[in-house]
Amino acid sequence: MRYDQHVLPNGLTIVGEYNEDAQSVAIGFFTRTGSRDETPELSGVSHFLEHMMFKGSERRSAEEVDLEFDAMGARYNAFTSEENTVYYGAVLPEFQERLIDLLADMLRPSLRQDDFDTEKKVILEEIAMYKDRPQFTVYILARETYHHGHPLGNSVLGSTESITALQRDQMMDYFRRRYAPNNMVVTLTGKYDWNAAVAQIEQTCGGWAQGDSSRTVTEPDALPLERMQPDPKRDRVYLCAVAPAPSAQDDARYAAEVLAEVLGGGEGSRLYWALVHPGIADSADMSYSEQDGAGAFFVSATCDPERTTEVIDLLRSTLATAQNDGMSDDEIARARRKLASALVLRAETPMGRLVTVGFDYVYRRRIEPLAETVDKLLAVATDDVDALLRPKPFDKLTLVGYGPLAEAS
Amino acid sequence: MPQPIQTFQLDNGLTVVVEPMPHLRSAAFTLLLPAGSATDPDGQSGAAQLVNGMVYRGAGERDARALSNALDDLGVQRGGGVGVEYTTHSGALLADDLEAALALYADIARRPLLPEAELDAERALALQAIQSLNDNPTQRLFVELAKVYFPGPFGRSTLGEVDELQRIDHAALQADHAARYQPGGGVLTVAGGVEPERVREIAERLFGDWQGSPPPTPQPQARTEPHYQHLQQATNQTQIAVAYPSLTLDDPDYYHERLALNVLSGGMASRLFTEVRTKRGLVYSVFAGPRLYKGLGLVLSYAGTQPERAQECIDVLLGELRRVSEGVTEDELARARTGLLAALVMQGESTGARASAMASDLFLIGRPRSLDEIRGAVDAITLDSLNRYLRQHPAHDFAVLTLGPAPVEITSNV
Repeated sequence: MRYDQHVLPNGLTIVGEYNEDAQSVAIGFFTRTGSRDETPELSGVSHFLEHMMFKGSERRSAEEVDLEFDAMGARYNAFTSEENTVYYGAVLPEFQERLIDLLADMLRPSLRQDDFDTEKKVILEEIAMYKDRPQFTVYILARETYHHGHPLGNSVLGSTESITALQRDQMMDYFRRRYAPNNMVVTLTGKYDWNAAVAQIEQTCGGWAQGDSSRTVTEPDALPLERMQPDPKRDRVYLCAVAPAPSAQDDARYAAEVLAEVLGGGEGSRLYWALVHPGIADSADMSYSEQDGAGAFFVSATCDPERTTEVIDLLRSTLATAQNDGMSDDEIARARRKLASALVLRAETPMGRLVTVGFDYVYRRRIEPLAETVDKLLAVATDDVDALLRPKPFDKLTLVGYGPLAEAS
Repeated sequence: MPQPIQTFQLDNGLTVVVEPMPHLRSAAFTLLLPAGSATDPDGQSGAAQLVNGMVYRGAGERDARALSNALDDLGVQRGGGVGVEYTTHSGALLADDLEAALALYADIARRPLLPEAELDAERALALQAIQSLNDNPTQRLFVELAKVYFPGPFGRSTLGEVDELQRIDHAALQADHAARYQPGGGVLTVAGGVEPERVREIAERLFGDWQGSPPPTPQPQARTEPHYQHLQQATNQTQIAVAYPSLTLDDPDYYHERLALNVLSGGMASRLFTEVRTKRGLVYSVFAGPRLYKGLGLVLSYAGTQPERAQECIDVLLGELRRVSEGVTEDELARARTGLLAALVMQGESTGARASAMASDLFLIGRPRSLDEIRGAVDAITLDSLNRYLRQHPAHDFAVLTLGPAPVEITSNV
């Protein structure tokens, strides 16, 4: 592995992790913008705009964008979160230049009115699709409840109402503010030609004008809330709980990964033994989510409606026991090992590294070599995890339930 | 560059296949046993699912917790699950620990404790998975579509049936494990930073003295006439699924069919995405893809749309599925070819993807396909040969299933 970095005069940063043994190159344009950067009347605009980027520029129609991706045999997509929007593709190395040309061109979109109107229907379909997915519904409710007014609780998709009301000119204005080169990072992983990439990006994107795309970063005021949202149409109960965790800029994030793995990293975790192994709930997981200035632990579980109270009690007591009594060295060692192994396996492919490398730079302005991340994970000690538990984060657990709760005892 | 794949046949019928990827420190494996829902004992639909869960509740010298800890100590990323024709137990980890991991999986497959005290817990998980179906309309749609398309054992849900799961007692579970977890017809694939000869030795030592064969899997029998059925459910989107006959992986025309499917549903420029989503905004998700069984192939297609647009959506979808028989363009063929081959090259970078793809090939056609073989077959297809094939083999006998607040009209079903 080799690490590369270059900053253009307009602030656009290009970073790379080169892998001689790879057979493909993955390229992503990372923009530091998402639903947390939206005002209520713009709710959902980041994600809708992400769709619109595929609808063409001055140089290309929507059809020509799709045709160009497919002519390269690219694996490609884009995603929007609360704080990042990422456009990416993986191709054989011979197509590096064409992929950069296409992604860079897409990110100066025309936002034509007829494309806007048609794509609005697709967004409304996507919102309808997620309404049929209760795991997603409860996650959104939990985010909103936990953040109670903090922008990290904003919905990425927006609502049927906000999307219906959104106008093309509002989107264009948002685009101009947020897609400034000083708010973007281009990431390459795999077998790339660095000098060619830098020269091409400089030529294509060097003229993009800087802008003020700042973001106010505050910590949410975590509170021990509980919210039960009945929906008689559901057959099962979906639980999601949120607690404060280290931010993406905090070195304690490695310990946070280990903590979440011990408690809820699937089979072999404490929540698994307490809830899934005995058949009380059919899933119970926990994950750590790094975010700009404020991280969070997410716990989720699914169960029969009649067992809701029992599952909530077990979930809470599992977290409380960890918080009061700490964790054993053995558990910590196993969790470290699982996480390190997962990281190495994901790194087999350029695509598997792209988002990790890109977010490294977006959040921390530094690419951490894979070997260093592995070492840091393997160095997490029981004391480091204890230090996270000492302020009692689970005393501020926000818990949300969704499903046929009238039947719950 | 890809190294040659090596195949070793053990005397007991287990085939061992190894793809060395010398630049990687990681390795992945798949142990495939022909124990799927199609061979669940009569009246015990869901048996393979129960066995699959129970084998992890202790094996060899270890109880459930010791086994789980041993896997985690090795950093094994666990995978696998129950399908219609087989169950897979798979994992990925650092290559240095492969031997220790395979020793644990030999215990899991051959010497599970199947503790009677834990059967009800495992059953509770299986029942909850079935209970979840109404809350996952797309999953429910495909479970029901299989029932519509395959009147016999291939239509059974891999999740099982509530009343039949409740009937499986501990003796039945033990008997089923003894009958179906057998090396005959099984496959062990390994891909990654490993020496093929060394893997053969390990496999011989861990699995060589295992003897027996599972009951044969019946030949899949599909419905052979057009069919439409609607399931009433108050969903936000109407779920649309279409199944129709296609080719098996060892059919000489398979790659014609595969390329045609890429024209229909490869990337965003493919026909379904363009016509159903890009031009009309009818869906977020639409696709068609191959579903391969041993001795039978079909195409599965899906679209999800809000009820007021379901009629337009299915009209456009079926229209596109039919229209392929009128032929594709040179550009479409070129994109389909490039897309298929690029996806294969990228699959070749991942140990897990390779171990899984080789296991599937072994089961379906008895040997792994190399990248060169597929490239040769795909390059041999011309626009003329593809369009001739499509003209002679129009999509036909659609089995259509919708799920949502209201049915649709199927205007003309071939």
